[in-house]
Amino acid sequence: MNSRWNMKSTVKAIAAGALLAGASLAMAANVPTGVQLHASQEMVRNNGSEPDTLDPALAEGVPANNIIRELFEGLTATDGTGKVVPGVAESWKQVDPKTWVFKLRNNAKWSNGDGISAADFIYSMRRFVDPKTASEYASTFGIFILNGKEITAGKLPVTELGVKALDAYTLEIKTPFPVGFMPDLVSNLQLGPVHKATVEKFGKEWTKPANIVGNGAFSLKDWQVNSKIVLAKSPSYWDAKNVQLTKMTYLAVEDGNADVKLFESGENDWVYQLPPGTYDKYKAQYPKDIHNAPMLGLRYYSLNNADPVFKDVRVRKALSMVIDRDILSQRVTADGQVAAYGVIVNGVAGADVTTYDWATWPMDKRVAEAKKLLADAGVAPGTKLKFAYNTSEYHKKMAIFAASEWKTKLGIDLEMEAMEFKVLIKKRNDGDYQMARNGWIADYNDATTFLTLVQCDSDQNAQKNCNRKAEALIDEGNQSLDPAKRKTLLTQAAKIIMEDYPMIPLLQYTVPRLVKSYVGGYSATNSMDRYRAKDLYIIKH
Amino acid sequence: MWTYVFRRVLAMIPTVFVVITVCYLLLHATPGGPFDSERKVSAVVLANLNAKYHLDLPLWQQYLYYLNSLLHGDLGASFRYEDWSVNELVAKALPVSAAIGGGSILISLVLGVFLGTIAALRQNSVVDYLVMGISNAGTAFPSFVIGPVLILVFAIWLKVAPAGGWDAFSPRYMVLPMSLLTFINVASIGRVMRGSLIEVLHSNFIRTARAKGLPMRVIILRHALKPALLPVVSLTGPLAISSITAAVVTESVFSIPGLGKLILNGAGNRDYTLVLGLVVLVTVITVVFNLLVDLTYALLDPKIRY
Repeated sequence: MNSRWNMKSTVKAIAAGALLAGASLAMAANVPTGVQLHASQEMVRNNGSEPDTLDPALAEGVPANNIIRELFEGLTATDGTGKVVPGVAESWKQVDPKTWVFKLRNNAKWSNGDGISAADFIYSMRRFVDPKTASEYASTFGIFILNGKEITAGKLPVTELGVKALDAYTLEIKTPFPVGFMPDLVSNLQLGPVHKATVEKFGKEWTKPANIVGNGAFSLKDWQVNSKIVLAKSPSYWDAKNVQLTKMTYLAVEDGNADVKLFESGENDWVYQLPPGTYDKYKAQYPKDIHNAPMLGLRYYSLNNADPVFKDVRVRKALSMVIDRDILSQRVTADGQVAAYGVIVNGVAGADVTTYDWATWPMDKRVAEAKKLLADAGVAPGTKLKFAYNTSEYHKKMAIFAASEWKTKLGIDLEMEAMEFKVLIKKRNDGDYQMARNGWIADYNDATTFLTLVQCDSDQNAQKNCNRKAEALIDEGNQSLDPAKRKTLLTQAAKIIMEDYPMIPLLQYTVPRLVKSYVGGYSATNSMDRYRAKDLYIIKH
Repeated sequence: MWTYVFRRVLAMIPTVFVVITVCYLLLHATPGGPFDSERKVSAVVLANLNAKYHLDLPLWQQYLYYLNSLLHGDLGASFRYEDWSVNELVAKALPVSAAIGGGSILISLVLGVFLGTIAALRQNSVVDYLVMGISNAGTAFPSFVIGPVLILVFAIWLKVAPAGGWDAFSPRYMVLPMSLLTFINVASIGRVMRGSLIEVLHSNFIRTARAKGLPMRVIILRHALKPALLPVVSLTGPLAISSITAAVVTESVFSIPGLGKLILNGAGNRDYTLVLGLVVLVTVITVVFNLLVDLTYALLDPKIRY
């Protein structure tokens, strides 16, 4: 989002701030004209599991982030459609390639009535990258702030973090390289504020209902572990008058079938995700409530590029070519997921989707080419390959399909090894596998989150592939201030890497779920699947 | 008898110690750790995490550290539920499991003994077939089948009970899961009670009592019931333990925040402290229940003295 704020002009800054704030107010109301609201604005939403924590700096999983997004608000936020909107910051500007300045609203308050200033963000960001905090996300988001990486590694003190208060309501963030997507990045609450006095007073106990102080549109009323978390509208929130819901209950139901049963019996308004294989059934049964929007996530199979068989790119290419993604998505998983042929998925900012030229070939031609590639690589029919996946009906179904594709089209035998999730992760991390199931959900809406899956020396690269030419393009793109040029370079890099066939992209995730038709504010374009109760409301029914 | 109880309680200490040690070693030998996730953490962050949770120490030091905490009544911090200590998690989940599991086992005992007795007295009659039919159904149908059927009928069709969830021991939320556990437990208890009573009724001392002309009611209540209950008591111990600590399926189907869910999540997430804490708890509960079963034997059978 372009800010109209200019450091040199206070008048302009105030005017621009007012403009943006005004725009955000109009969006926050969010109830289309003519829609009548229900008398009771209370909602129940299943969150899929118990959150791992309510401490924003420590949050890792989706359930934790969903609730933290209600209790806290960062410099920015994303609205119901997934668009970046002002949060505590009412405007922002990239004043030089490596410096962002955020202008904070002066009416933002903590739930105990304290005002929020730039100092709160400085404290929280330092706490986030502090090795003592040991945040699992420190290496994911911390690297975008100057010295963040070095501080997490214990090489610099936290005071060296590139965040500074220019005045009480102006925060400067220095980055080690140009980060054009900073406004999107700071919508993640790991980089959001926590209330220093509360954290220091209560230590590990600070997130408990009796102690917690947040700055979000909702506050924590009740927390029954493994059962539910109840939130109530916070009267101290700066935009409280535009918040419709008065109560939001998050359930921690893990069993997908139990989740649907609660929906059917009227005790749950929002199913976390439909159990595998049930999408068509519920689509027919609840046509008004069914939703299935694509999200920024990729299902793929990692190929161990160091394995003697997979060292040869021809083998990797042949295996990728013969899997019919259309049948996989339409007949096998049958839940509306989209065929994927590249590491970049539809809808992600910062790069275009890449594909293979053979993706449009008829299957016969693809099979003939794949057979030739295998023969050239010396891989004869009857060769055995090992595939590791974590025990799940869904993954099993996909693997059986892939195995049948390779067996019937190329004569390759697949030995499928089902294992517990943690065992699979360990094997993948140690490179102790030949082929393995893999998946990725974007941390932020930029191509770099997906490129980490295939970049040299990346922690997320299970294949251990490396293309230095592509790496140079990514570096060049990240240094560029021209978004169009950056996009071209990153797309080019993604294309080059995928021509090495390090992995087999299969499907882009969708979120098949049931949401009661009387829940307003649900959008088909929220590709990060991040909703705040602030943007939702109950329609009269 | 009190000496016996004291000895049994003392024997519990080495039992718990051995169980913890074996479990500790097994847990750490299992591939994957608490911080292995789809998004691999960097080596630096992993080092920070290991330092925070003392996992950077040699295994024997971690073990001693754990034992020391345990002796002070501290089960440690959970890895999976970062904001809660294991003590807090157990304190929240145990009463839920005890209410559901313990409540159902008490109802099952009364119902199971009653139905088993009727079936034994009316052997090969319609009543017997009916009771045995119910009993076999309870054994044959797994809880993940019966549970959803109960939800379908009572929560979705009839709308007389919630489909699941939990709200501060509200009876509304306890009815269906307790019914499910009771159904399964009654099936076992009823069948054992029937078999046991039939066997007792064919004993010489019952025949003698009948020959003496005692009425059937007196024979049953005064002479047959006590010895017939012995196998039921033996069965009740393990049934009660599994109903309280391992009702994983029931908890999952009805989304109940009990111990079973904690055990499952703890093991799946390599939450070392949580799993060990629950193992300690289950061990203590098992030993205590076994002791109670043994003491009940003495009450029922005059030949048994401690």
